[in-house]
Parts: sequence; structure tokens; C-alpha cells
Amino acid sequence: MSLAATYRLGTRLFWKDRGMLFGSVVTPVGLAIGLPVLMRNVTSAGAADVAHLFHGMIAIVLATTTFMTMVVALTMRRDQLVLKRLRTTELTDGQILGGQIASVVTQTVVIVALSAVAVRVLAGVPLPGEPLLFAAAVVAGSAVMALLAAAYTAAIPRAELSAAFAMPVFLLAGVGAGAMGPIPLPSLVQTALDLLPTAAVVAAVRHGEVLAPALNLAAWTVIGVVSLRLWFRWEPRRS
Amino acid sequence: MTAILVNELVKRYGAFEAVKGVSFEVPAGQIFALLGRNGAGKTTTVEVLAGFQRPDGGSVRVLGLDPVADRAAVRQRTGVMVQEAGFFPDLTVAQTVDTWRDFTSAPRPREEALELAGLKEKAATRVRQLSGGEKRRLDLALALLGRPDVLFLDEPTAGMDPRARVDTWEVVRELARQGTTVLLTTHYLEEAQRLAAAMAIMDEGAVVAAGGMAETLAGLRGRVAFRLPAGVRPDDLPLPVSLDGELAVCRADDPDLAAQTLLTWAAGRGLRLAGLEVRTATLEDLFLDLPRSAR
Repeated sequence: MSLAATYRLGTRLFWKDRGMLFGSVVTPVGLAIGLPVLMRNVTSAGAADVAHLFHGMIAIVLATTTFMTMVVALTMRRDQLVLKRLRTTELTDGQILGGQIASVVTQTVVIVALSAVAVRVLAGVPLPGEPLLFAAAVVAGSAVMALLAAAYTAAIPRAELSAAFAMPVFLLAGVGAGAMGPIPLPSLVQTALDLLPTAAVVAAVRHGEVLAPALNLAAWTVIGVVSLRLWFRWEPRRS
Repeated sequence: MTAILVNELVKRYGAFEAVKGVSFEVPAGQIFALLGRNGAGKTTTVEVLAGFQRPDGGSVRVLGLDPVADRAAVRQRTGVMVQEAGFFPDLTVAQTVDTWRDFTSAPRPREEALELAGLKEKAATRVRQLSGGEKRRLDLALALLGRPDVLFLDEPTAGMDPRARVDTWEVVRELARQGTTVLLTTHYLEEAQRLAAAMAIMDEGAVVAAGGMAETLAGLRGRVAFRLPAGVRPDDLPLPVSLDGELAVCRADDPDLAAQTLLTWAAGRGLRLAGLEVRTATLEDLFLDLPRSAR
């Protein structure tokens, strides 16, 4: 009951915050659909190259719609003492965070699905060959990114800085997934970037890999849960 | 039955000891006031009782349960109005109440909650447009949503206008009549005096005075104050007074009798006691009677 209640609340607030929608929906959707369409129609790239780019774009959506949205919403609610008020209710801490995570994951999945259909129609990118694996990778990847975002808020001193703190994650995820074009990277750096959870999702949807991405996401889940338990703050620092 | 039990509670923030071994008990159905200056440790005590913070020493029980370990069970029977908490500014008052009803197992109907808090006319107003006092009313509406057995009210009427304050007192009294236990912190002595059956005064993390409201007030001395007539020295008066600027203040167990004595004395000398004020003891006097360090 209560998980559903915080889920509904998170979803309502997601779509109600007009200012935030530009960063959480308009920009990622524009990039995820616009760039592949542009590449297909303006350059001589074939469907395979465009599909490669689109799969990289999923990392961008995960870094914005999931990660940034979550970081901004939680730090704002923390600093405005809304999280504290939620804790005066019957809700458990798990329900408060769990409902918010589930809500953000849903919005992400909707956006990725919408983009996949759009690039199929507009840029001839074939629909996922293994839809189940594709869906599982996006759902799991988004859930892990949302969890890590919640944990990451502990490092953000004030809500005004939350978008700035999410920026490096966006850049690393995008560059690592090749969403920003072919950038020549030293192999050590590429190897490090391949360890990101977004890279695991891209590997699964791009190459149909299962085991390595699953292990990667499992490891990040552990990191997320442990840091959440150790450092998550429900209220702003008093000093 | 004891609804709230605080036993030798200690709470530290780093090296700073905010609460130093505080103990008190609130029987079921009583309104209990926790008084004291800013920084006295009242809010910290309430936050421990509400399960937001773990005690560093001693123990607290609410309805026999540990508010941290049994938070879910305690929450079903308690309402909490913390001193500072935010709302979602873009939701209306009605939407906020509906959202909170979603979080509550057996909530009051929305209309009833709004009626109780006197917010019916504001149902369609966005929270960001409410005044400070109206936000406090919304706070109260949310705290009452689950028909709690125990209610924690941290400065419930701060920022309210006098009318709203009186309305809120009436709501709290009515809840207590129906059996709700209320722990209230306040700056307003009048509020405590009007509402509470018992109280404790905290200072620098410790309880410096405690007891039943009626007994405490009965043990206090009343006050007669007037402007000292020209040419009269305090020693000339028939009763001992202290000077507060040009105001002579006489403290007496029976302030009416003291006033009569003073007036008779003045009449015999053709003097006027200008600005004469007679009143029975208030908590203000209790505060003033405390050692200076505890004020």
C-alpha cells in the first residue's frame, strides 16, 4: 500500500515540476531521438552505425532521466525538510526511497521505449532483437542508477549544487558509451569507463551480453546499498 | 497508564551534550508541556521521542514501545508536528492532505482534517501561497490525520495569529478530552498554562523545574505592580517591593490582600498608586523565580 503511495507521489511530482522536465525529459529525449535521426539523414551512416549511437544514448537517458532527476529531487526534498516530514508518517525509510526509485525507473523505461520506437520509425534503427534482455537491462540499469543517485546525495552539500554534481556522471556515462561520438581514449580510461553501470546496460543491449553486465550491476547494487546505509542524510547538515 | 516515558535521556551532538539525563512521565490522556528557552533541549527531546534520533544514554518509551526500533508500530498510533518541516510547494492544501491520507492506515476524511485545522477555505490554495500560520495549521491537520493516541507538538502555534492560536488550543483540548496524550513544547507560557495539566521546564539540557500545573501555580506568588509615587522611597511602603525601573513590584502569596494594604496606606497619605496592576501567579513568575542561569 505505502510503496504504491510513494510511487504515485514520485510520479506526480516528476510530471508536475515543469522546470525540471526540461532536463529530465526534453533534453534526453531530444538527444536520444534527434542525434540518431540527424546522423541517419545528414551523414552516410548505415543503420548499424546509427543503432550503435542509439544504444549509447541509453546511457545518456540513464544519467539524466534517472540519475540527475533522482539526485535533484532527493537533495531538494532533503534540504526543504520534506524527507523529514515524510518520516513523520507511517512510511518506512525503505518505502520512501523505494517508491521514489520505482517511480523514476518507470519514467526512464517509458522514455527509452518511446525513443526506441521513434528511432525505428525515423532512422530505421531495428527494434531490439531480444526485447526481454533489452527491457531487463534498461529496468535493472535504471534501478541501479537510481539507487546510486540516492547514495550520491550524501556527497552533495546543498540542493543548488545537485545538478552540478550530476554533470560529471552524465559526461562519463556519455563518453564511456560512445554517445558523444568516437572520442579516442587511452585504453586504461576506456577500461575504467566500461566498469560504469551505464556501460553494462549498453553492453547488454548492444552486444546481447548477459553475465558480465549482470555481475557489474550486482556489484554496483551492493555499493549503492552499503553507502546508502552508511551515509544517507534525511536532513540537511545542521552546521 | 503511562503513555510517554523518558528515563535519564542523554543526547549528544559531537562533544555538545544537548540533553543531560532528562526524566519525565506523561500519563495517557494528559497534556504535558515542555518549556524552556531556545537551545534548552526541548526539540531534541521531542525528536528522540518521535524516533528521529537514537538516545546516547537512558531510554524513552512511547506507548510502551521503543520509537526507533519499533518506529512503524509507534507511528501508527502517534502524530508528529515537528518544529520545521517542508511541504511540496506546488501541491494544493487538499492534494497535500490526500497524499498524506495515502500514507496513513485509517485516515480521517479530508474534510474532517481540514475542518479541524480551520483550513477549509484554503483547500484549493497552493501550499507555497500559505502564510506561516496557515502552514502550521496544515502541519496540525497532517499530524491529526491518523487519529493518534499520542500527539507530539513542537511549537504548534509559532507564527499563528491570536485567533488561530485560540482555535488551535481548542482543538488540542478537545483531543485531550477524547483521550489523546499530548506532549507540547512552547515558548508561550500562556499557552502552557492554558492547556497543560503538567509541565517540565528545561534549561541547558536538564529539567530545572517540573510538576502539576495547578500545584506549581498555587505554589507561586502573585504580583502587585505600580509606579512609585514621587518622593516615596521603597522603604516607606508597608510591604517589601523590588524596583523595576520606576515600577515598584511587590510579590505576595495573596496579591489581592497586598494590593488592599498598599492602597489603604496610600489613601492615608493622599497618594495615588498610578498604573496599579494586580495579578495571580503565571508561569512567567516561575521563570523569573528560577536561578538566573536557568532562565
